[in-house]
Amino acid sequence: MKKRKTRVGDIGKNRDEQLITITGEDAMSLPPPLDKGDCQQLVRPLTEEQRNDYESSLDGVSAIAIPKPKSKEEEERLVEGFLRGLRKLLSQNDNWTFWQQLLLSLESCVRCQTCSEACPIYISSGKQEIYRPTYRAEVLRRIIRKYMKKGGKFFAKLTGDDIELNWETIARLAELAYRCTMCRRCAQWCPLGSDNGLITHELRKLFSQEMGIAPREIHELGTVQQLNVGSSTGITPRALENIVSFMEEDIEERTGKKIEIPFDREGADILLLHNAGEFISWPESIEAFAILFDAANINWTLSSELVGYDAVNYGVWYDDVQLARIAIRQAEVAKELKVERISVGECGHAHKALLVVADRVLTGDLNIPRESALPLLEDLVCNEKIKLDPKRNDFPVTLHDPCNMVRLMGIVEPQRRIVRKLCPQFREMEPHGVDNYCCGGGGGFAIMSSMNFQDWRENISGRMKLKQILEAFQDVIDPSMHKYVCAPCSNCKGQIRDLLNSHGAWDKYGILYGGLVELIVNAMVDLEKPFIEWEWR
Amino acid sequence: MLLYVVVAIYYGSIAFCVIASIVRLVKFTTAPIHLRWELYRGSSVYELTDWWTRPHATFLGKMKSAVLDILFLRDFYHRNRGFWYFLYLFHLGIYLLILWHVWYLIVPLIVSIGVEPFWDMVWGHVSTALGFIGSLGILAKRITNEELRAYYPRIHYLKWVFMLLTIFGGFYAVHCCFGAFMPSLEDARAGLYPPSSIVIHALFSSIWLIYLPFSHVLQLFFKYYHQVRWDDVPNVRGSVMERKVERLLSQTVRWSAPHVPHGRKWSDCSSEQGQGTEE
Repeated sequence: MKKRKTRVGDIGKNRDEQLITITGEDAMSLPPPLDKGDCQQLVRPLTEEQRNDYESSLDGVSAIAIPKPKSKEEEERLVEGFLRGLRKLLSQNDNWTFWQQLLLSLESCVRCQTCSEACPIYISSGKQEIYRPTYRAEVLRRIIRKYMKKGGKFFAKLTGDDIELNWETIARLAELAYRCTMCRRCAQWCPLGSDNGLITHELRKLFSQEMGIAPREIHELGTVQQLNVGSSTGITPRALENIVSFMEEDIEERTGKKIEIPFDREGADILLLHNAGEFISWPESIEAFAILFDAANINWTLSSELVGYDAVNYGVWYDDVQLARIAIRQAEVAKELKVERISVGECGHAHKALLVVADRVLTGDLNIPRESALPLLEDLVCNEKIKLDPKRNDFPVTLHDPCNMVRLMGIVEPQRRIVRKLCPQFREMEPHGVDNYCCGGGGGFAIMSSMNFQDWRENISGRMKLKQILEAFQDVIDPSMHKYVCAPCSNCKGQIRDLLNSHGAWDKYGILYGGLVELIVNAMVDLEKPFIEWEWR
Repeated sequence: MLLYVVVAIYYGSIAFCVIASIVRLVKFTTAPIHLRWELYRGSSVYELTDWWTRPHATFLGKMKSAVLDILFLRDFYHRNRGFWYFLYLFHLGIYLLILWHVWYLIVPLIVSIGVEPFWDMVWGHVSTALGFIGSLGILAKRITNEELRAYYPRIHYLKWVFMLLTIFGGFYAVHCCFGAFMPSLEDARAGLYPPSSIVIHALFSSIWLIYLPFSHVLQLFFKYYHQVRWDDVPNVRGSVMERKVERLLSQTVRWSAPHVPHGRKWSDCSSEQGQGTEE
């Protein structure tokens, strides 16, 4: 039986029913060897207790664990809070940070649906209406027209574009703001310049800055922890010292080189900022940077100051205040160290946050030159400042384009020139470059795993990337041949790790993932053994 | 008398269109600068190691891209070909009709050369036909395609019907009242009571002119307003941009969530210590 399509107005109706349930039959099919169909439930249902306690009536998934209101009064208070926040969102003074783009995006859509075909989540889910990029935007437009404009209620009835604003609408909209990775592929495709990714961002901001609603992993364990403890991973400056000592030992063990990782070196040319997740999950990436910079005699340093050793800025996904706080703190650290410039390692959103978005937050002597590490790596490799042998990387390699670096910043070629030069079996994913697909972990998803959300991002938001990876390796799918997905971004790596792991891609097909800098070090001629260790992590 | 009323409404609507468009443009372009949020179609200056010392994309380069997009609707062509066919016919028709009107208004005032009336009519009728087929096709597509129908405000269908009536009315007025050639301005002024088809067409056109500043046409220009789409203008120390940023950072934060220091300046809340603590 054909399912009834969800309509925009449905968001405030049938309060006790889920709007949709996604099954394997709905979802986009995958290429071989995963083409046999996964008709099972893609997302585990929440337990009865979870369903009773938390809002999940959008699609049965809980990304942000919003507790259900206990009384009618509480519901009304929340609705009032939402409308108050909406007024601020539409105010030039309160929302100067993004008012202009928000208005443009709200007013310019001609409902041609060009953006829909660009959205990997909408396509992967089997074109579920609620994941259409214009769905949440249209909900917001109708709420604004009805509740913010004079005569709105009358015209809503007259035109048939009515929408009910109750707690369920708001709770579903809050969850819906976390079903978009803000990869902005839809915005790139929009002929009129309407940016549904930005609308998602602004909705998240309304919920966070006015109502205090945000995913725990991004807010409490993310920005708040980073500002108070020093890092979103919880690593304190003291713990960092121990980790770095371990890494120095590890470098010696792996390469025979005795390299000191510099800390707080005043007047260094470069303050290198890594995503602190790398210290815990992928220390080999930080080690590889240290090996390369040592070989190239670069005058660089890490910082041990609070926030100064963590490039992440989750504020860019949901909260302008937190974004500004973190960016300013990072710049203050660089200023205190008197470095010439800040270089951001392999972390996409940190690139975007510190180099681009925060450019209009940093003034005076906090406005220190900031750059991506990729052009620097390209300079080392392509200008042959280090001796490298491509034969050491003679295995199939494909390259993932992190949206924040590529589509949103225009850093498209440096990583390609490196991989083309160093990897004889390099093959592109299709599409790639500025037309790439998000890994499915963007917008904070890679670090979010509340209740059944991880199932959703492994099977829905990441499905297109999994398809691309499998297609890139179709001719070498035999597990005996090791293959490498190069993802020069921490969050992308985290998401790709979870994607490959949940589909058994290492065991069954021999697909491993890692960063760009590891490939470079792996090709260094003066290392006795390969730097890349072919084991799952 | 009627002629004077119609002329007043018609030229009044042109004046309104121009003034309202300017007001909207000024309002939009003088809004507070925003945080940067650009998109790229390819490689950018960030691919260079010392990008902050290099020039960014030039205004002319951006303009060229914008003009090509607007003339040929390139994004629709590449991304939504099924929609592009009728949309382009419609736009091509409208572009040609605008040029045709400009031709009749301006050229006789500047030069005394005339074009064979037959070719004038071909120009006008072909443009009209393109506009009519295009808008009819768009309306049909909007009605028959479920995906498009679900999100399209009902009132906008009326817009297309009205567009068809305007285009057809224009054809009728020109073809049936003037036959094989257009009258000169002097000839038209001689008759104080023009045919009703002319009056109706002028009034319909006036309604479109009044609507235009609030339509998506102006939005298309906003897309290319360089501080929105490709706002890669860096904030350089001591620049006008920096002064604007400083002014905005001195505004009061009025958001209310517990972690936001309500009532303080943006610059204060951003740089305070222990700022992440839940209050």
